[in-house]
Amino acid sequence: MKVILEKVSSDSDEGARIRAKEITDEIRAAADLLEGHGKKIPVTLKGEEMPTETLMISTDSIYYFESVDKRTYAYTRDECYETKYRLYELEDILGSNYFRCSKALIVNIRKIKTVRSEVGGRMMTELLNGEHIVISRSYVRDLKRKLGV
Amino acid sequence: MNKVKMIFSQTLMVSTAILFGLGIQQLILYLSGIGDGKITWQWYIPLSIVLTGFLSSLPSLLLTCEFGGSKVKTVIVILLHFLMVFGIVSGSGYLFGWYVNSGEFLLIAVMYVIIYSFVWAATVWLMRSDDNKINKALDEIRDPE
Repeated sequence: MKVILEKVSSDSDEGARIRAKEITDEIRAAADLLEGHGKKIPVTLKGEEMPTETLMISTDSIYYFESVDKRTYAYTRDECYETKYRLYELEDILGSNYFRCSKALIVNIRKIKTVRSEVGGRMMTELLNGEHIVISRSYVRDLKRKLGV
Repeated sequence: MNKVKMIFSQTLMVSTAILFGLGIQQLILYLSGIGDGKITWQWYIPLSIVLTGFLSSLPSLLLTCEFGGSKVKTVIVILLHFLMVFGIVSGSGYLFGWYVNSGEFLLIAVMYVIIYSFVWAATVWLMRSDDNKINKALDEIRDPE
């Protein structure tokens, strides 16, 4: 397969298009890698002052990351973990399925059930686990761009 | 910066709406046979429209506050916004002589309600249209529950 690498100037222009006669396992694996699937990050259970155990959890299972008092928490369907990464670091680590939705939150787009616009330009989202989070007005445009809307 | 941009675009929108309202007022007066069909403005009227547009855009900052998803708070804030903008428009109208009697004031008040309702209806329609597009795009990539 011919591979063409092209340098672009902005993050929003980044993307990959794979053209193939057949979607094989290798191609799926390549797409997953590009989208950041299967990536794992080290976390500890929330609330442990002296964490005894570091767990590796798949970023696919994380619904959102939240920064509170200079600490970063990762929320899965039922659990909350703490991670050493800052949000700006996670933005680089995580794949294209993640999106900064406010100063303190990064959300997994694939875990959003519905969105609803609110007065003032914000958006209220309902996640698959029933939680609600707000997309700030200044980040709504980024979501639309990411989804190609 | 976003708020400055919002104030600027709101100033343009409200100024246009006021100009439209004054235009309709003149049209109604003309069709009613009041006046000679000519309009003469004092030198300060165009500036007063822009100034009123700017002042009317300031209450929009209220709408950017967090309401925590509360519908009651949202309705109260919209009502407050409606009254504040109406106060600014009617106050400016009085100060700059856009109306000289209660009949003209009533006309301006009715136009204000119509324009305000229309702007909100259009805004809600655009919001729902955006929501539908985004939700459809999300349907295609959403993980199974």
